[in-house]
Amino acid sequence: MLEKSTSIVVALAGPPNVGKSTVFNLLTGLSQHVGNWPGKTVEQKTGVLHHGNLTINFVDLPGTYSLTANSAEEQIARDYLVKENPDVVVTVLNAASLERNLYLVAELVELAPRLIIALNMTDVARQQGMQVDSQALESALNIPVIPMVANRNQGLSELVRMIERESTQPARTGDIRHIESDSEIKAVIDHVEGLLTDESIAPYPGHWAAMKLLEGDEQINKLVRQRLSQTQWATLEPFLKEHESAAVTIATLRFEWVERMVGTTQEKPPMGQVSLTERLDRAATHPILGLVILVAIMGIVFWLVYSVGVPIQRFLEVSLIERARELVYSALQSIPSWVPSFLGDGILSGVGTVLTFIPILFFFFLAWAILEDTGYMARVAFVTDRFMHLIGLHGKSVLPLILGFGCNVPAVMGTRIIESERARLLTVLLTPLIPCTGRMAVIAIIAAAFFGSQAILVSIGIVLFSLLMLVVSGLIMNRFVLSGERTALIMELPLYHSPNLRIIWLVTWQRIVAFVKRAGTIILIVSVVVWLLSSFPGGSIQESFIAQIGRWLEPLGKLMGLNWQLMVALLSSFVAKENTIATLGVLLGGRTAGLTQALKEMLVPASALAFLVVQVLFIPCAATVAVVHQETRSWRWTAFSIGFQLVLSFSMAILVFQIAKLTMLGI
Amino acid sequence: MDSERIEEYLEAIYKRQRTETPVSTSALAKDLAVSLPAITDMLRRLESEGLIEYVANKGAVLTTQGNERAVSVVRRHRLWERFLTDILGVKWDRVHHEACRLEHATSPETERKLASLLGNIDTCPHGYPIPDKNGNIKEQEVAPLSEFEPGQSACIETVAEETPHSLRDIDKLGLKPKTVVTVEKKNSDGSIELQTTGERRWLKKEVAALLLVKPVSAESKAAAVEEIAIAKLATGESGIVRSYTGGRGMLGRCLSMGFTPGSLVKMLKNFGSGPVLVKVHDTEVALGRGIAEKIVVTKNKAVC
Repeated sequence: MLEKSTSIVVALAGPPNVGKSTVFNLLTGLSQHVGNWPGKTVEQKTGVLHHGNLTINFVDLPGTYSLTANSAEEQIARDYLVKENPDVVVTVLNAASLERNLYLVAELVELAPRLIIALNMTDVARQQGMQVDSQALESALNIPVIPMVANRNQGLSELVRMIERESTQPARTGDIRHIESDSEIKAVIDHVEGLLTDESIAPYPGHWAAMKLLEGDEQINKLVRQRLSQTQWATLEPFLKEHESAAVTIATLRFEWVERMVGTTQEKPPMGQVSLTERLDRAATHPILGLVILVAIMGIVFWLVYSVGVPIQRFLEVSLIERARELVYSALQSIPSWVPSFLGDGILSGVGTVLTFIPILFFFFLAWAILEDTGYMARVAFVTDRFMHLIGLHGKSVLPLILGFGCNVPAVMGTRIIESERARLLTVLLTPLIPCTGRMAVIAIIAAAFFGSQAILVSIGIVLFSLLMLVVSGLIMNRFVLSGERTALIMELPLYHSPNLRIIWLVTWQRIVAFVKRAGTIILIVSVVVWLLSSFPGGSIQESFIAQIGRWLEPLGKLMGLNWQLMVALLSSFVAKENTIATLGVLLGGRTAGLTQALKEMLVPASALAFLVVQVLFIPCAATVAVVHQETRSWRWTAFSIGFQLVLSFSMAILVFQIAKLTMLGI
Repeated sequence: MDSERIEEYLEAIYKRQRTETPVSTSALAKDLAVSLPAITDMLRRLESEGLIEYVANKGAVLTTQGNERAVSVVRRHRLWERFLTDILGVKWDRVHHEACRLEHATSPETERKLASLLGNIDTCPHGYPIPDKNGNIKEQEVAPLSEFEPGQSACIETVAEETPHSLRDIDKLGLKPKTVVTVEKKNSDGSIELQTTGERRWLKKEVAALLLVKPVSAESKAAAVEEIAIAKLATGESGIVRSYTGGRGMLGRCLSMGFTPGSLVKMLKNFGSGPVLVKVHDTEVALGRGIAEKIVVTKNKAVC
């Protein structure tokens, strides 16, 4: 007899740093779909696992410590639980920090009718001298507990079997023993619950909503204020004000509940025992030594990227893209000439060039994933926090900024790790001032053409100048542009652990795919537009629209010693930064080989310097602008970002040119 | 005759001597769990080796030579106990017997290394002074907590009886040595209610009698607990969260990260500027200085 297959939805909840993504990745593998939560810039991951006749649809909720709307992540997690009613909720916990992690469970029991605890990292806990008796925990909590070591594949099949079993169990709602049942705060919570009507808080449970109101949850507060009548709100609001301290009491009760649960089931490590993490952290979090280590590690990463990634990129550019263009031209000789030009110059050189950057990004993402998975990234945020403070950010902002050296696109997307809206926006606005690999390529070629043996020094100088501009811009924006409270760093430093290759591979792969999808489509469109502008009217770039724009901009260019060809090259960098060189090649009537000579004849060193400055500070490429818009969800801020960089790049270039002209460089 | 047994006897006599001299054979028989005739035999031997003076029917007194040797055993014993609790993480109610075995097998070099590993620790986990390497010992002036009256404050120095059971009880109550307590109430059954760093505790009479304490004046008691911001804790110091002085914006995040009142916060790294690293609820948490200035903790100061 054929059994009908059933399909269930399982939500994975859990705090950060518990290996939740590892569990999710191992359960769903490459079946996963990465998207955004509706209306939010928070990543949503879903995936499917087939287990016998059962189809399990996993939804990976954002990692959260609690379910109070302190951040978008927490709001998403709880709204999903309340509104989508998943069949089973699996909460992944870290056995080595059970006390902290069970706090979330104290909240989850109210919203998840069928809950399973996946007690992960039991090996780490054991190494730390913490023995957790999972059976005792199970009976204390009355929730199934599956001990596991996810990154060694232990306990996953047990988890799946438990999901299958639990999905057929009746829901547990109703027999929850509230944490406050023996406490004085109960009367306060009951009173608030009594003031709420069912309609005013649906779909949230009344008791839960009452607690959230007392905890000062702004989202629930807003919802209730809108739905209650004015008189009802007038009685509720002063009561909430009067019991403002309830937030602290409720949180304390939850931790007391946790202590009761943990007390009998966990053996604690001795004080004074020095773990591996502590020993490594003595160096890694030290204000001086920590920075030295950071610089050394980043040095290795860049060395890897440039010694392995760049040669592959060059190879692909020459042997793949150039070949393909030649092929297009020779194969399509019989049809109108604009077709091969469109395919070869418009699409292949635009999109193709960007795609050749994938090997560089691959090594960047790979190194990134390793550093993230080992737990080192949190230390980077720690040691850099004091510096970031100067420009109104905290340590977490450093991570996307460093990623920006590889490519600004994933860097802007990477700002999602920053909880505070203000700090995120500021980081998004500053990221384009980080010279990416594309800009570096242009700097290297131009500097080599003009400054010979001093090219390296000039290149480093330009990069440092760009970073200085980043700091100055940060200071200005923090002071004059952005409003709101600056938030401080508060972040868990996870224990170090050896990285899991499968996870690193998956994460790297997903990021590459995301980059290709986002950057690829935008760049395709912009490439076509720029091709149109540079091919019409007349068919040659010298007479095209873009040349006309360039000539029109020449008076501005003159101030920084640039002629119209260089202005056009600058504009073309909007497609992709490395396009600058190709455009110059075309405009100066030759291939890249003769470019050095042509440039030297055309420009004085002062102009070259000004060109380097304007090009490193100029508006970022189209793909970056697109993600800036996507992440800020605001045209205003996107326009501000473009405008700010236009003003900054032109004024700095003019300044540099004028000064350089007055000194020896101008001769 | 092995030196191990000799050392056991000397150690037992040494400990008894603080309360009675000469030390009676019956008391030794009880401490060492050995029959009376065996004790008498052994005491004769010790006398012949010049380690004690023995008067039949009265008891034994350590000679200078015997005292030296006894102090040296005590030193090794208490160093090992510290090693077992602080480095190996053995619970304090289980270290005594282990240390009893280790003390006899300890060469002078091991003893030196052990002492330097432990640093400047001068008491055993149960609060008894560790004799220094020259055999000098700081004697304590203590009285049982049960003799204290309501309103008086005291600092716990040692635990009188090192039985595993009573040690476990005391550990659970959080009344380990170097804790300052204030007696709040004495009940008719002899039990005591007391306060320690803001928490109330209830002690049975027997437990209160086990805690040997030193009186603490009101001023130094007030100075014993101070309320400071987390940012002011030095590396290695701990405090208990009391309140939060910042805006409501960060309160929720602080609470869900575990900075709830009553939570123990240990400072792992404080470089005086920049962020700090603390341990709270089993995890390391980095706190920006701004927020570390806003969470207030009470810190116990060493006044005793």
